[in-house]
Amino acid sequence: MREQDRRDYLEKYQEDKKRGIPFFPNALFKDAIVSLLVFVALVVLSAVIGAELGDQANPSDDSFTPRPEWYFLWLFQLLKFFPGNLEFVGVIILPGAILLILAALPWLDRSRTRNIRGRPIVLGFVVFLFLGVLGLTVQALLAAEPPLEAAGGDPVALLYTENCSGCHGTSIAVPAGVNLGDVISQGGHEGMPAWSGDLSSDEIDALVGFVLSPNGSAVFQDSCSGCHQAVGLAATQPLTLRAALQPGSEFEPHAGLDLPSLDESSATALVNFLIAPDGHRLFVLNCAACHGNSAQFAGTRNELLAIIEKGGGHLTMPAMGGVLPDADIAALAAYVVAPDTAPASSAALFEADCAVCHGTRVPVAESVEAATEIIVKGGSHQTMPVWGDVLTAEQLDALTDYAYEASQGSPAVLGKTLFEQHCTVCHGEFGEGGASPVDPSFTIGPISTEQYLVTRDYITIRAIITQGQPDSGMSPFGLAFGGPLDADEVGAIVAYIRSWQDNPPVELPPAVERAPLLVDVADIYAGFCAQCHGADGEGGIGPSFQSPEWQAIHSDSQLFETIDLGHPATAMIGWGDILTDEQISGLVELIRSLQGGPGTPGPVAEVSFSGDVLPIFQSKCLACHGASGGWSAESYQSVMASGNSGPAVIPGDAENSLLGQWLLGTGTGGFMPPSGSLPTTEVDAILAWIRQGAPDN
Amino acid sequence: MSDRVGGWLDERTGWRLVWDGVFLRQVPKVNWAYTLGSATLIVVVNQIITGILLTIYYVPSVQDAYATVDFISHDLTAGWLIRGMHHWGASAMVLLVGLHMVRVIYHGAYKFPREITWLSGVGLLVLTLAFGFTGYLLPWDQKAYWATVVGTRMLEVTPLIGDWALRVARGGDDLSAVTLSRFYGIHVWVLPAILLLLVGLHLYLVVRNGISAPPKKGE
Repeated sequence: MREQDRRDYLEKYQEDKKRGIPFFPNALFKDAIVSLLVFVALVVLSAVIGAELGDQANPSDDSFTPRPEWYFLWLFQLLKFFPGNLEFVGVIILPGAILLILAALPWLDRSRTRNIRGRPIVLGFVVFLFLGVLGLTVQALLAAEPPLEAAGGDPVALLYTENCSGCHGTSIAVPAGVNLGDVISQGGHEGMPAWSGDLSSDEIDALVGFVLSPNGSAVFQDSCSGCHQAVGLAATQPLTLRAALQPGSEFEPHAGLDLPSLDESSATALVNFLIAPDGHRLFVLNCAACHGNSAQFAGTRNELLAIIEKGGGHLTMPAMGGVLPDADIAALAAYVVAPDTAPASSAALFEADCAVCHGTRVPVAESVEAATEIIVKGGSHQTMPVWGDVLTAEQLDALTDYAYEASQGSPAVLGKTLFEQHCTVCHGEFGEGGASPVDPSFTIGPISTEQYLVTRDYITIRAIITQGQPDSGMSPFGLAFGGPLDADEVGAIVAYIRSWQDNPPVELPPAVERAPLLVDVADIYAGFCAQCHGADGEGGIGPSFQSPEWQAIHSDSQLFETIDLGHPATAMIGWGDILTDEQISGLVELIRSLQGGPGTPGPVAEVSFSGDVLPIFQSKCLACHGASGGWSAESYQSVMASGNSGPAVIPGDAENSLLGQWLLGTGTGGFMPPSGSLPTTEVDAILAWIRQGAPDN
Repeated sequence: MSDRVGGWLDERTGWRLVWDGVFLRQVPKVNWAYTLGSATLIVVVNQIITGILLTIYYVPSVQDAYATVDFISHDLTAGWLIRGMHHWGASAMVLLVGLHMVRVIYHGAYKFPREITWLSGVGLLVLTLAFGFTGYLLPWDQKAYWATVVGTRMLEVTPLIGDWALRVARGGDDLSAVTLSRFYGIHVWVLPAILLLLVGLHLYLVVRNGISAPPKKGE
């Protein structure tokens, strides 16, 4: 705006003002009326609708579908147009640009025209913005209801719109190697619910297919949906499926139908959609019939891929004739033909001689004679299909990944071992629970019932294991909370516990009666304290009870209190609710008896400064505490006399000596050495030396 | 009598200067659309008063937040009204600020000499949305929790500093007690302080430059 324009405006404004009205009372009157209306509206809204308060926030119940307040809905909706890597355009760039344009409006629109008719661009921008925000908001509000038009169309797309698109937008980029079926059924990350409670496994399979191959869904919609329901068809055998899709094939059920022909890429997309590249599922469909639950394999991943891809008689069965006694072969043949009616001894034979290759699955044989011949002669009696012709590249990769991982010992297998080590003492071998070993009146509920597993997702179970349940006597097992297990190990235990879900070993109500109760103090120690403090009190995660120093600085009442109430910020939980006072007192007594370790009671031998203490100083302290100032660890004289905070050693009083406090971390300064505590034996030697009176011996 | 009291006070405070300058000032003839700004101001006052009342009973901790909001809503005398007014006041704010803005754009009122008034108004718009976002979490119900989980997660997509921004907003990797106290502090202390400053500037400029006259055809 030019100088002249500005002066004109101000002059004109002065005129307008002169012809105007005083603010009070005339203009204020209008303001007061509108303000009063707004105020009344607020009161009415509060009285009629009120402010809603839902259920209390529950981070472990992530089945809640989050929706922002209405004035952010348009932004929420906008995000759906920017999936994946483009998300930041919807989150940052577009809103940022709108805000920037708004802020800069006086400088973007510099004309002297004020009437809206003279400013079409600004008018256009505002109308566009208003309609955009309004449109997106309405769209978001409508999206809350299941979209009606999709109901008659693609049912899998509808599943996706209802359950996934709210957070994920129109498509999801899945990194290679992710087991999408598991992610969907168990929930993956924050905010992502476990869907296994709401969706059937067929529906989850269909969703996996849709996410990994949305084009396949479209092909299905065009070519197959006239006759087939996607969700039902998704469980088809891959061999059948491939036969049906083979160009020019004489697939019996399709005979006489005028079917659209598919090009190679469409067919691949369709196969990927119907049987998603999900390793576990592919293994179940393609391999489990012959290989059982897992295949053993010792080579590399590429070798495995080659075997799966090329198929054929890759394994030759050795001839068993002459190796096994005839009676055994007869028993095995009978077992193979009719496993259910064969004697138990033949099952044991199969386990011993055949399971190494055949796994848990019993091969099918037509007759005892045929079976006997195969067992006697061996050879490539069964040919593995050439999976490279049947599966798509994506499916082959996923299958190989899964089979290879499974052959290396899957998480669930590792989890079983860990569960037996850490959990069975309280939860029983199958998570059946029972009376608490230390407090017979407290019953540990079963954790392997279907009800328990369905209502707790992966994150919850992981949190319970990691953080413990101090109120019911479960100490934390996560490394971060002072326990012994790292995140992978906890994950493996969760995977093992989760594996019960398909086939829960425990039905409600549980058998509560269980084994003898641990009321003996020694048993309590062995069952619980020893996990962290060692069977002989030698220490581990918790401090060593054998250390005379540790024993000396803790009174009986302190020990009692720590067992009773626990120790904050460590894995030591309070046992007061679980153990009786008598049991705790008994434990204190027992802990006292552990001093010095098994078989080495008696007074500690005299410590020599030059022989025992100085070498520790020289190797561990002198690098810093030498000539560089402060306390010097160089010689007896410097140890006793130097230091910025007064003498480091008070002869005879290890606990109040600065040196002792630094080594134990009990003073105000912290810990020495900064890299971590010295070994217990070295600390003990130094403290014992001070307690002797710090002689120069 | 009132003249004498008024005169006595004026000698000591100079209130007549303010009264004449603010209330008796001459304004151009305006229409009803010009009441949107003052309506917004009334809602701001409503938010401040009900907000202060809410803080008397509200406790911003994970253990107590939900219980205290529940108490305010159901047990406290007129608590439903206080919380209801604050809740609906938030929506009214957004709505009125938006309409006020449309009015200003429509009349070209952001032009000389009111550019700074406009700029402070845009700041107040952002502030209003920030109030809405931080306040939404405070009742600590499911809706609040999960909407904030998703809302803060959006920060993560910022290029380069996404992870960092997410951790700053949440006070850690997950939404937790830290997030609650953080949002409470921002909602109750930081944003109101900025709000008062900006509203003060906005009003001062409105009085100083006068309210714009509705432009006639061809102006």
